[in-house]
Amino acid sequence: MKPIYLAIVTLLCAVLAVAGPASAGPADITVTSSATDPPVLMKGDTGTLTVTIQNNGQNTVAISSARLYGSGVVPLSDSYASVGEIGAGNSKTFTFTVRADGGEGTFYPQFVLDFRDGAGSLRYPVPVQVEDTVLSASVIGKPDAFSEGRTADITIRVGNPRPNAASGVQVIPQGTGITVTPTGGFIGALAPDGSATVVFNLTPTTETDVAFQVIWRNGINTHTTDLVLPIAFGEDKRQADPVITNVEVTPIAGGYRIVGDVMNAGLESARSVLVTPGVPATPIDPFRVYVVGTLDPDDISSFEVTFRADAGTTEVPVVVEYRDDDGNRYAATTMVGVGSVAAAPLEERDGGIPLVGIIIVALIGLGIAGAIYYSWRRT
Amino acid sequence: MDTGFIRVLLNPGRFFEARMQDEPSLKIPALIALAIGLITAVSVIPITNITMAMLPAEMQSLGLLITIFSAAVAFVGGLLGWIIYSFIFYIVSMIFKGQGDLKRTVEFTGYGLLPQVFGGIIGTYFSYQLLSGLNVPPMTSPEQIAEFSESLVTILATDPLAQIAGLVGILFTLWSANIWIFGMKYARNLSTRDAALTVGIPVGLYILYSIVTLAGWL
Repeated sequence: MKPIYLAIVTLLCAVLAVAGPASAGPADITVTSSATDPPVLMKGDTGTLTVTIQNNGQNTVAISSARLYGSGVVPLSDSYASVGEIGAGNSKTFTFTVRADGGEGTFYPQFVLDFRDGAGSLRYPVPVQVEDTVLSASVIGKPDAFSEGRTADITIRVGNPRPNAASGVQVIPQGTGITVTPTGGFIGALAPDGSATVVFNLTPTTETDVAFQVIWRNGINTHTTDLVLPIAFGEDKRQADPVITNVEVTPIAGGYRIVGDVMNAGLESARSVLVTPGVPATPIDPFRVYVVGTLDPDDISSFEVTFRADAGTTEVPVVVEYRDDDGNRYAATTMVGVGSVAAAPLEERDGGIPLVGIIIVALIGLGIAGAIYYSWRRT
Repeated sequence: MDTGFIRVLLNPGRFFEARMQDEPSLKIPALIALAIGLITAVSVIPITNITMAMLPAEMQSLGLLITIFSAAVAFVGGLLGWIIYSFIFYIVSMIFKGQGDLKRTVEFTGYGLLPQVFGGIIGTYFSYQLLSGLNVPPMTSPEQIAEFSESLVTILATDPLAQIAGLVGILFTLWSANIWIFGMKYARNLSTRDAALTVGIPVGLYILYSIVTLAGWL
């Protein structure tokens, strides 16, 4: 080789050695990963978009700025105005705060890296998914009918049809004229296609609408879903149903006696069952009230009540009071005719007649005994 | 006072002993029996009124007639009681070989009814007290009348007033029995023991029946 050729080759290598780093910049920088948090945004949600780049070349690359722009998903945070150099084999992560301003779908905001010294720029479309599907809530357990003051179990199931997990899920019952225990149910994280149930003890005092509000977070964004349950009072098909049968009315001194049977024809137990004569009858001793106690379904018990009624009374109500398992009080009334046997003395005797009578009998007896004794003594 | 009512009640032995000196006379005993009959007639008026109230409207016009008839039956019943007691004592005393005129037996039995006058008055008072407070509902069917009658019987059997009246009646019957013992002793010339048996057997049976009825054992 001629010396001149050797010099030219050496000079070229020197030039290449000096100019090498500048020419390797854009080609060696690659976007290795991108992610959003939450993974799937909802409309209006704010999240973070993270882009990681790596320098796959042998030389340091100088970067002037990093930017994100686009429509549908817009950046809220500022651009990286002065990034600096990234060494060979190194990685760097850029995080942007974004908001989903568009509709549903997959958006591609542009991630742009500007290299120094006019070496161009790197553009990378980052996919961001936006989906507005909300958590679902449904009532899976409730009584056939609600009753005033009667506690009912309400079971709410919350499902997550979204492609990403929901966090901080809780159910809060809201409404007036109700008492609910617990006042809120916490579920926590709910995986995609997962579900969880919450049971509430609800006691209504009036007919109303109860809203079960499902609150959850998608990332840092709080969302709610309402489930409305109308509370309309009705007859519980399972509730206790005391029925009075085999009634027999007997007049007694100062009033009447009613004996009969009371049977629970319902499907639930009747507790603390009391049988009393109602107005216009006035209960009198010895059976002003008859305590039956608990009547299980299909159970039967005899009862006996005594009362006084005014002249002209043809029928009187016999009231059966009972409670359910929650302590709520109920009353069932059965009219019993007394007209055809209304022969009871009406005068109030204050229960003193027997004592006065005994005294009268004793005095007469003493007098007669004295007369008899006297007659034999004089014989 | 030898023949006075007080002596009959308190000292019947001396009274009948004195009466034996005279001819038998039924005048005063008949007056006593009449008084008992009248009291009995008055005592059935309230129960008759209740019975009247139970009858249908078309039969209400017969009310006065039924009341008079009931009172008359009760009056005759009072007199019959005197005669029946007399014959029973006379027949029973024959077991003990009693000797004496039937008329004398009837006379002394009549005197022995004197305590029944007081017993009848007190019993009538109780009867009015008990029955005046009854409420008689309007009834349209024989079944209702029968049901009411049953309840009325129940009341009369269970009411304390009725039971007190029954006890008072028994006490006055005992008093009469005591007088009858002395009466039969002289009228039928019996020993005291035989006279007591003559009176005690029928009267005892009657009192036993009354007690059983009052206690509701029948």
